Amino acid sequence: MNLQLLFSGFSTGIIYSLIAMGMVLIFRSVGIMNFAQGEFLMFGGYFCYMFNRLLDLPIGLSLILASICMGFVGVVFMRTSYWPLRHAESKAIIVSAMGASIALKEGARLIWGAVPVTVDRASEGVVNIGTAVIMKQNIAIIVIAFMVMVLIYLLLEKTFIGNIMQATAQDQYMASLTGIPVIVSIGMTFAISAMITGIGGGLLAPLFFLNNTMGTTAGAKAFAAIVIGGFGSVPGAIVGGIIVGLVEAFGGAYISSTYQLVLIYVVLFIVLMLRPQGLFGEKIQEKA
Amino acid sequence: MMKGTRKGNLITGRYMITLTCITIAGCFLPLVLSSYMLRVMNIALISYMCVLSVYVLLGMCGQNSFAQAGFWGVGAYITANCLLKLNLGPIVSMIIAIAGTALFAFVLGFAFFRLKQYYFTFATIGLMTIFNGLFMNWKEVTGGALGISGIPPFAIFSFEFSNETSKFFLIIFCAFVVTFLMKILFNSSLGRQFMAIRDNELAAGCMGINPLLTKSKAFAIGGALCGLGGALYAYLSGYLSFQVFTYNQSTMYLIMIMLGGTINPIGALIGTMIISLLQEFVRPLQNYMQLIYGVGIMLLMIVQPEGILGGIKALYGKYNERKTLRRSEA
Amino acid sequence: MENTMKERHLDVLKLEHVSKNFGGVVAADDICIEINPGEIFGLIGPNGAGKTTILNIIMGIYDADKGNIYLGGTDITKLPTYKRARMGIARTFQHPRLLTRCDILTNIQMGIDLTKRTQKQNVDESELRELLEAANLQDVDLSLSVGQLSYGQQKLLEIVRAVLSHPYIMLVDEPAAGLNHREMDYIVALFNIAVKKGIAVLLIEHAMDLVMGICDRITVLNFGKQIMTGTPDEVQNNDEVIAAYLGGSANAED
Repeated sequence: MNLQLLFSGFSTGIIYSLIAMGMVLIFRSVGIMNFAQGEFLMFGGYFCYMFNRLLDLPIGLSLILASICMGFVGVVFMRTSYWPLRHAESKAIIVSAMGASIALKEGARLIWGAVPVTVDRASEGVVNIGTAVIMKQNIAIIVIAFMVMVLIYLLLEKTFIGNIMQATAQDQYMASLTGIPVIVSIGMTFAISAMITGIGGGLLAPLFFLNNTMGTTAGAKAFAAIVIGGFGSVPGAIVGGIIVGLVEAFGGAYISSTYQLVLIYVVLFIVLMLRPQGLFGEKIQEKA
Repeated sequence: MMKGTRKGNLITGRYMITLTCITIAGCFLPLVLSSYMLRVMNIALISYMCVLSVYVLLGMCGQNSFAQAGFWGVGAYITANCLLKLNLGPIVSMIIAIAGTALFAFVLGFAFFRLKQYYFTFATIGLMTIFNGLFMNWKEVTGGALGISGIPPFAIFSFEFSNETSKFFLIIFCAFVVTFLMKILFNSSLGRQFMAIRDNELAAGCMGINPLLTKSKAFAIGGALCGLGGALYAYLSGYLSFQVFTYNQSTMYLIMIMLGGTINPIGALIGTMIISLLQEFVRPLQNYMQLIYGVGIMLLMIVQPEGILGGIKALYGKYNERKTLRRSEA
Repeated sequence: MENTMKERHLDVLKLEHVSKNFGGVVAADDICIEINPGEIFGLIGPNGAGKTTILNIIMGIYDADKGNIYLGGTDITKLPTYKRARMGIARTFQHPRLLTRCDILTNIQMGIDLTKRTQKQNVDESELRELLEAANLQDVDLSLSVGQLSYGQQKLLEIVRAVLSHPYIMLVDEPAAGLNHREMDYIVALFNIAVKKGIAVLLIEHAMDLVMGICDRITVLNFGKQIMTGTPDEVQNNDEVIAAYLGGSANAED
């Protein structure tokens, strides 16, 4: 077992988990797959770059500020590309999100330019374990992502806001009857979703350079993670993301680096054929 | 005779008249367009065929596939290989491309339609990625990153469709034929089976429709359309590169049909033309074009989620309502 | 309609000891039913008695846990829904499931398609007209979209479509729910046409006057159990049935 690959795969994987988790939160709340989630990652990365490199703030603060900015982006996104279409067919919402995704990509290029940029590492240097050389950034990613996940869990399960959001996700109409402002609740969901994905962008930036098209590939991998893990399941999204990261790292090293993305989808197909509902999904019985 | 049973003759019907008018009007385009714009039109019409495949899958059968650009590529690469490696004639190559892509899609359909709705859609995203990976790396068949060049133009006996205008007539003829076939499909029992599945898969099963087989048939028809588009593209450009057959192209098809409207092929045509021409006309605004384009799509979906054709239809319905209202008042 | 099956077997549809559990909840417990050709067979019981579940098991939408289902003597227990439909079972739904985005003619055509496929014969126009007249849809423009029909008309159209597919048996789920009295008469007229053609009808219904008026035999269910099977008179005078309806869930009924 190659420890170095394990760590790098796990750390990129957990970032896919963050994107996937963001998608699942939105999916559970409004029943729509967000095709622009990858762009949240890219935007988060660029915000982080802006605070860290252009304004010379320390990386920790930059991550937090970037995440707050992403919260606003999430709300604006929800208000412009989901809310006006909430009664339309799902394919219209998908297309609208695709439009938003193009707009975000181009917006980022116009604001920050097309030249790939990077941000500071959260933690410099390497750790030697035996013969393996592990970047501290990888460990930092895992720790921070884990903290984010715990925070989200606490927020959803233990707080009043979390209850409101879950109630809205289960039945919007009933929620509105009990006095929950549905738009606020859904807005919160989009904001949190964009925040966690945005942090992922800030963490990923030191490993791979930031550019305005990185979101699409990352988004595609997060889709795979969700389907592998099981549609609509948060633990599934997390595990799925890690699986995708590991497949990518080990497949790239041992099989072929050109077929990395192909390899991920081959795994996805195998999972789907053996277990159509994904690893953590529940079997859905069609209502007759 | 019961009211509404007489559906109008296919040849003399409204659909056919509209289609013929559009085609005849289109035939005058080479007189007014520059060679460059004619190339744009050619590519737009090829896209139109792929968009028709989305029309069959999404508009008729309710299945959202993101792999259509991949099938387009499969058609193009089959054509190129038949021509260059197997030395087959252009017509035979084209037929093999259409049939081969259709068969390929049909077989894949059986595997993929075990997954339903969202799962299917995501599986096709994966399929698209795999297609693109293969196009990029399978050097023996696709030429890898270098692509395939030197594909001869289409020819019937000794007549070569080598200049832009003759290619245009070839493509518009094919577009005319497939659009006509779409109407036949729509009125056929198979078309009704597609629509039954779209509206309610469970109820469709209760009407003796095998969902898996029927959806695979839709996938195969989509594949055939993309195969035709791919073959024409190979003849048109003479050069194939994996960078053309991408996921982004597939999303473009979806955007095109949603823009025009999913209710009939005319919607697909409107959407394809608008997007293709828009890309040309806003080229001076290069830097902001994509942004405007993205925002435009969002706005369109908000204003008219049923697409332009859906909007026109709604307006027409309102107009009719008012007319009958006025008549009843009078 | 040529119905050779009728002569060979007395029963069109036979359920033998059919049972179904949903995660511990018994939806159908040892159900045995035999339905004869051209018979209108009622299936009644309080809400949640498992009536629709039985229709879904017959149609193959759910698989039975135990027991066998025979259509004209052929075991269909393991067949998928679409094959059962082609063999001659038609089903209508409590909330009509038509092709909502198509016109009425296309919907009618769906039933005719099935006849063409299974019996290699066309449906002549007089038959269609007879059915549409029975359903009082003869004056409706068939090129209208289904959405422009009233709820009742949609339900009638669904039954017309089912009859047009020339099945051996129609499973009809609460046709009268949400309909006015005149529309209920049209349903009875449609059933009469079906019976004349030798089509058996398995009817689930809450409107007791309708059930008691047209059914030849009735099975009463309660909590997935078959309480009794008999003629309307027998059912109405059975103590157990009265207890099932009055005890506990009486308020759920009319």
